[in-house]
Amino acid sequence: MRVAACVLAGLAWASAAHADDAAKLALGKQLFVRGAVPACAVCHTLKDAGTTGAVGPVLDELKPDATRVATALRNGVGGMPSFAASLSEAQIQALALYVSRASGGTPAR
Amino acid sequence: MNPAHPLHRRHLLAGGATALAAVGLGGLSRSATAQAASAVPASAGPAAPKPLPAYAAWKDTNSLIVHSSSTLETRRGAFGTSVITPSEQLYIRNNLPPPDASVLADRDAWQISIEGVGQSRTLTLAQLKTLGLDTVATVLQCSGNGRGFFPSKPSGTPWTVGAAGCVVWSGVPVRALVAALGGVNKGLAFMTGTGGEKLPEGVDPKTVVVERSLPLKAMDDAILAWEMNGAPLSLAHGGPLRLVVPGYQGVNNIKYVKRLAFTERESEARIMSHGYRITPPGTKADPSQASVLEMNVKSWINSPLPDSANLKAGFHQIHGVAFGGLSPVKRVEVSVDGGKTWQDARFVGPDLGRFAWRQFVLQARLPAGAHTLISRATDTAGNVQPQERVENLSGYSNNSWADHAVQVVIA
Repeated sequence: MRVAACVLAGLAWASAAHADDAAKLALGKQLFVRGAVPACAVCHTLKDAGTTGAVGPVLDELKPDATRVATALRNGVGGMPSFAASLSEAQIQALALYVSRASGGTPAR
Repeated sequence: MNPAHPLHRRHLLAGGATALAAVGLGGLSRSATAQAASAVPASAGPAAPKPLPAYAAWKDTNSLIVHSSSTLETRRGAFGTSVITPSEQLYIRNNLPPPDASVLADRDAWQISIEGVGQSRTLTLAQLKTLGLDTVATVLQCSGNGRGFFPSKPSGTPWTVGAAGCVVWSGVPVRALVAALGGVNKGLAFMTGTGGEKLPEGVDPKTVVVERSLPLKAMDDAILAWEMNGAPLSLAHGGPLRLVVPGYQGVNNIKYVKRLAFTERESEARIMSHGYRITPPGTKADPSQASVLEMNVKSWINSPLPDSANLKAGFHQIHGVAFGGLSPVKRVEVSVDGGKTWQDARFVGPDLGRFAWRQFVLQARLPAGAHTLISRATDTAGNVQPQERVENLSGYSNNSWADHAVQVVIA
């Protein structure tokens, strides 16, 4: 009984985590395509998002992991501005998860 | 020789099966080796080198590391000893994609607006060519060169030493141009250059335009260049016209320059106000922090390197390059024992002026074993290349001699 409860709890946790990821990924994609100001799409090509921006690196080639994306968003990189003032930490995390997964920088679980 | 030394192991791996057999690892069964190999899916094998971007397709692919379509790095082992870096080997760092190649169809028709002078006006490249001519060799170096050595792994390309080269430019001196137009107006403290890249729509131009402001004195040595290494300036390196500011970090050498303005204040473009600032770790970039302007004194060894083939005990010519920013180098010392003792190296090759790099060489007898080779430069102003880097958020201006040390194993 206790074992079953644990298993159920575990499943519920896993499913909640999955749903959480899915929500973050959806938010990340939305921010990428048009939500962020300026939108990532303006400057970056990312096949999954259907964007063809040619100002910054092609993310499908760069394949950044989530940490690298989040750091770039917080601090800016070279010509890329910092988004720390315009995006919340949750939004930065969502974008980082989305870009790293969509570009192949972090394998999907 | 210490078999546990990681460099030793790397060297053995590079040496292949013979070397492995020599230390008794040859006994690893064939099936175990095959298994290890097949455990790696074909698609996850060593990634094929990225191709050169179209605008730089003429470059020598074997000399370059392609980080992205905007960032190509010269391999450390590719630097030769002829002072000048061949154009085919020179690094590239573009902050924006280059303009369409059609801008080179009629180079003389390229236009640049000169502002903040007695007679501000737009001039064509053909007109610039009538106003003066100078030729200068300069070190062109991205301010992020050496970022790859920062343990903090800053955002941006992890260049080691190859975001630098020494090239020769020809063009009109800015001071001659300014004199022809009636001089700089009173009270203007900055020289601001603006790149002619096409900006994306839907973005405030200030967030992406490549525009940098330099102290007025930078104009003394600056030229508007249309030729590099004896050829019309390529699109990849800023043709048809580039602002070249000797002694200053790469980003200040504005490609496709379409405006040269003498201004009261620094540009409000993001790349000037917040980008390329020496930001303390853990803080945010802001305009009060030092901008990436003059280069600092620096040197590194290009040979021998850890991956040099067949390093044998005996004499070696340890060579590399050394340069200052606005002051040339006067001395380079080399250590073959990790910085415990130093010997003066000798400059070799022609001195191409105070903005060019000098090549140095030290002949040293290296016995079998592992050796840490280091160089340390001193400029004519007395600045000595430091042991440690200055930590900063974006990994700029790394001239640490410790970071640039190379470890070699002599058989």
